Amino acid sequence: MAANNSVNISFTVNGERFNNVNVPSRQHLADYLRSQGFTGTHLGCEQGACGACTIEMDGKAVRSCLVLASQANGTNLKTVEGFDDEMMEKVKQNFLKHNAFQCGFCSPGMLMTTKEILLNKKKLTRDEIRSEISGNYCRCTGYQSIVDAIEECINEIN
Amino acid sequence: MDDIKVNQNPKLGSLDRPNSYIGRSLPRENAKKHLDGGGQFVDDLTLPRMVHVAFLRSPFAHAEIKSINTNDAKKSDGVVDVFTAKEIDEVCKPWIGTLGHLGEMRSPEQTPLAKKIARWQGEPVAVVIADSRAQAEDALELIEVDWAEKEAQVDMETALDSNAVVIHPELGNNLFWTRTVNQGDVEKAFKEADAVVEATLDFARHTGVTLESRGIVADWNKAENKMTIYHNGQAPHMMQHIIAKHLDLNEGLVRIVSRDVGGSFGIKVHVYPDEMAVTAISKKIGRPVKFIADRLESFTTDIHARCHKISGKLGVDKNGKILAMEIDDLSGIGPFSMYPRTSAIETNQVLNLSGAPYVIPNYKAVGTVVFQNKTPMCQYRAVGHPIAVAITEALIDKAAYKIDMDIDKIRKINFIPDNAYPNKCPSGVPLEDLSHEASMDKLLEIMDIKEIEVQKEEDLKKGVLTGHGVISMCEVTNPSPLFYGVGGAHISSQDGASIRLEGSGAIHLSSSITEQGQGTEAIMKQIAADQLGVKMESVRVTLGDTDATPYGGGTWASRGAGIGGEAVLKAARKLKDNILNIAAAIMQTDKDTLDIEDNNVIRKNGGEGISLQKLAETVYYRGHELPKGTNAELLATASFLIEGIPFVFTNSAMGCQVSIDQDTGIIKINKFWAVEDCGTQINPKLVEEQIRGGVIQGIGGALFEECVYDDQGNMQNATMADYLVPMAYEMPDIIVDHVTTNSGRSIIGAKGAGEAGTGGAPAVIMNAVNNALKQVNAEVVSQPITPEKILKALGKIQ
Amino acid sequence: MKAADFSYHEAVNLQDAIKIKAQDDEAVILAGGQSLLPALNMRLSSPTCLIDISKISGLNEIKIDGQTLFIGALATHSDVMNNKTVKDNMPCMIDILKMVAHPAIRNKGTHGGSIAYGDPAAELPALAVATNAEIIVSGQNGERSINAKEFYLGLFETAINQDEIVVGIKYPLLKQGQKIVFDEVCRRHGDYAMAGLIANVMGSKNDIKDLKLVFFATGDKPDVADKTARLYLDNGYDYDKLKNSLSSEIDFAGDLNSSSEMKLHLATVLIKKVLSKLEN
Repeated sequence: MAANNSVNISFTVNGERFNNVNVPSRQHLADYLRSQGFTGTHLGCEQGACGACTIEMDGKAVRSCLVLASQANGTNLKTVEGFDDEMMEKVKQNFLKHNAFQCGFCSPGMLMTTKEILLNKKKLTRDEIRSEISGNYCRCTGYQSIVDAIEECINEIN
Repeated sequence: MDDIKVNQNPKLGSLDRPNSYIGRSLPRENAKKHLDGGGQFVDDLTLPRMVHVAFLRSPFAHAEIKSINTNDAKKSDGVVDVFTAKEIDEVCKPWIGTLGHLGEMRSPEQTPLAKKIARWQGEPVAVVIADSRAQAEDALELIEVDWAEKEAQVDMETALDSNAVVIHPELGNNLFWTRTVNQGDVEKAFKEADAVVEATLDFARHTGVTLESRGIVADWNKAENKMTIYHNGQAPHMMQHIIAKHLDLNEGLVRIVSRDVGGSFGIKVHVYPDEMAVTAISKKIGRPVKFIADRLESFTTDIHARCHKISGKLGVDKNGKILAMEIDDLSGIGPFSMYPRTSAIETNQVLNLSGAPYVIPNYKAVGTVVFQNKTPMCQYRAVGHPIAVAITEALIDKAAYKIDMDIDKIRKINFIPDNAYPNKCPSGVPLEDLSHEASMDKLLEIMDIKEIEVQKEEDLKKGVLTGHGVISMCEVTNPSPLFYGVGGAHISSQDGASIRLEGSGAIHLSSSITEQGQGTEAIMKQIAADQLGVKMESVRVTLGDTDATPYGGGTWASRGAGIGGEAVLKAARKLKDNILNIAAAIMQTDKDTLDIEDNNVIRKNGGEGISLQKLAETVYYRGHELPKGTNAELLATASFLIEGIPFVFTNSAMGCQVSIDQDTGIIKINKFWAVEDCGTQINPKLVEEQIRGGVIQGIGGALFEECVYDDQGNMQNATMADYLVPMAYEMPDIIVDHVTTNSGRSIIGAKGAGEAGTGGAPAVIMNAVNNALKQVNAEVVSQPITPEKILKALGKIQ
Repeated sequence: MKAADFSYHEAVNLQDAIKIKAQDDEAVILAGGQSLLPALNMRLSSPTCLIDISKISGLNEIKIDGQTLFIGALATHSDVMNNKTVKDNMPCMIDILKMVAHPAIRNKGTHGGSIAYGDPAAELPALAVATNAEIIVSGQNGERSINAKEFYLGLFETAINQDEIVVGIKYPLLKQGQKIVFDEVCRRHGDYAMAGLIANVMGSKNDIKDLKLVFFATGDKPDVADKTARLYLDNGYDYDKLKNSLSSEIDFAGDLNSSSEMKLHLATVLIKKVLSKLEN
């Protein structure tokens, strides 16, 4: 059995600085963030297929279960706990209005995917919205209410 | 979104008063925390000195465990201990998954960890307890098991053959349960029929794939002799009883806490051996123990469902009237019946519910359930309905085609008429307050079938195969004690609500129903606030804690609104009555001249009232100001139970239109409609979303989902990439509409709505696909209807 | 599903990575990690050491290099999809990448990673073969170029040596009249295909002068069907003839979603579907 390898890194999460922290080499970023209390990022498969763990790394959506914690060195991370800017508050209001979530487990990943859709500023059809969220598994809603919410967000922006 | 249904339920009071919340599609303000990352799921919980476990699971479907050597594993970094059945059995008694009310049921004792024989791939055999899950998994690799692989019984169709592998020799064969329903004389009726049609359909085993996997934290507190379990299950009181019973604990000192649950759909309402092992470990080592099933082990250890082969026969006269229906259903479960609800229920519902919307004077149904060396099976959303509805509706379409009758017309002439209730379905189960005729009429209105048929002909000319289907169904909801309790299960059919007015004027409500995202908390709030006369935001709700809620059954079989909601209604009315009594005393007037609106007691004829806050302050802090003998009671509790019938049924009519790519075999669902009659809708938006989510889940079973096994009993597609769940791109928008027939069994009149979508979608999709394939003389008889099966039906491949 | 332990090394430059990889045959390269990390999490792979090359600068260039479009190995799929040079010179690559997984995966997954991994159901290896691309690798003995056709040897088996790392891919720029058209059949958007086809066409819809057919998700590597391409050029679309030819040229291997017979059928209909995308 290999020794418990660890790496010393620095990064920010939602603007909060983590300086010279030791992370186990083998631990993925989702597990590390959750161990630090950012439990809004969820694990659904640890394979990259369900999207529940999707967070923002240096401005881009990534699957935090497919990123090693050590790879976060020098990066700026945003998790669902930090989606509190004006645009995301509007997104959440639309999600609430359309009941675009039931159990809430997929929501952090869905919100991250939605953020990226809106930052790309394109006017998408419902089919195109479905294509954009096709990597986020939701078992509860059947997706329609989520498409409704995102459609309303897009219409508001454009 | 703010949708007031005017024809809902006169018993609930006028719709234009303030605080009229029942029937309105209000957003779930209490659930917004999920959008802020504030959910509290089991894996989010950390307790001091908490340890983690990983299970060593049998890689074989059937194998003898000759020896297990855990010495090296125990020495691995971070490991606290390694247990096998020996250690766990010291603390946890075995169980048997049978009940007494369904005839003879045979299932042997089951222990949390396999003892000498592993009987399904995934069965836990040993468990590592360590400081972290990663370290526990490291140690798993160091456990040495001397396996002797045995032949496995993996085919349900040969499970009763003379040369089958008998999984439990003491039982003699692999039969778990069988039942025959016989009404009238089907043989005679078939002889008299003008047309007889037959079908044999098969449905693949599939599973729930809840996004949040199963999880539990067990915390044995030696000092208090108290076990606290944090569990993402649906039925906390049931777990309380079972854990107390099998760990020999004082049931009153077992506390089950279920906070946020990331989807359940029945998967998390059963008793799992690995979870029981976790409770035993905590008791043994005196530390909190956490187990979260990872996705790989979820696929092979969450209950599976819906593996059936069913043959059916339908006889009609020349006018399309059904004379007889006969079905013979075979289902393969795991090597044990699941505890405590038994693995017989799914087949039982198939027998009970086939033909349910229709007048069928002669009905025979035989169900056979056999053991296999595969993952155990039990109730999963819409238990049995997908099969019952699919066989019924497939036969009806076949009869329609045979006598050249419209698919909607043949259904309409056979429905139990809307004005003919109470009545019985063909199997004899009582029915009341249904609306198949009105629902089908509504469906046809919103579907515009004529337009669809015109489009279909034009498409065929272009070489595109499109088809459509319509179905009707009944859904089991709001069960009475005749579902489980009668058979000996400690599963409560009675639920309670407790509501109080606090000194601040705040209202607190607790209910024994639980939340998994469907909106339990929201609708309870709406009912309480509506019936009491207060603003929604002044009500806070406690659910999912056996220490802090009334005793009850939890959420399953679509019982939350109808049973739990009625208890809330009754409790709220009691509290209102109490408050008005006190107010009458304070205000020196007749109770009948008073009402409560927007958190104030008001005089109906105008004049000064009193706020609930001031009234509460008087009661709690200055009780001496009240007239002697006022008996001010600001806490009210009420319960509710369905009596006199086994279930409250709902009904739905569904339609869909599909197109089939003849080159690739890919099916596209272009349109889907669902008309639901679930009686009073507390929150119409939430009802719609249950229908939508349920339909998509049904589409999963119809087109995508199956647990694929090799002939050694190994599941081949047990990953999120290989097991195909519905994702957004392939799914249709669903148009939902309603008919409202309130249940006469309660004031609130609400029935359940959680499962109809899943129960009906597979049937209507299969019918639409076959409606399309009929144009080229092809058909499919097997779900999921994969592209491969379509290509085979079209003769493009063998 | 927690990975087994390994030591992590963030390579400071290419030489550093090459050196470690040469010394330890159980060391693996971490670039985007979108294929590696699932394998680690599921313990399908338990390397002793991970060499993270993702922070090495200069390996994600996208540029025109002579008569080729050069894609640096560390360019992510998203980088490629949003790149003007790619859009102007090989827009088909962007359309193909839309079929690859989902946005969050594409933000991390690298072009070089996909080429080096060589998943038989992946699109980029097939595109490289269809366009006659050159795969540039760098090792202890310096840089060399391997033609895509010679790069893929078998199931997850490539011509790269233990000490070598893919640094970029050179795609020949499309000539006048040359087009790349493609299609794939999959169960769900973003899934690995049941069968896919990339066609390199010289000519127009009714006048194809030259045709190269490269199938993916049909066997253990990109499957070139030259004989079938010639048959098409001679006879046009004849399902039975083309199917026979394909079955003699390609060793179809079935998987969970499609049997080998179904893949053969899909490959045959894909010829029709793909070539119908050509304009006149």
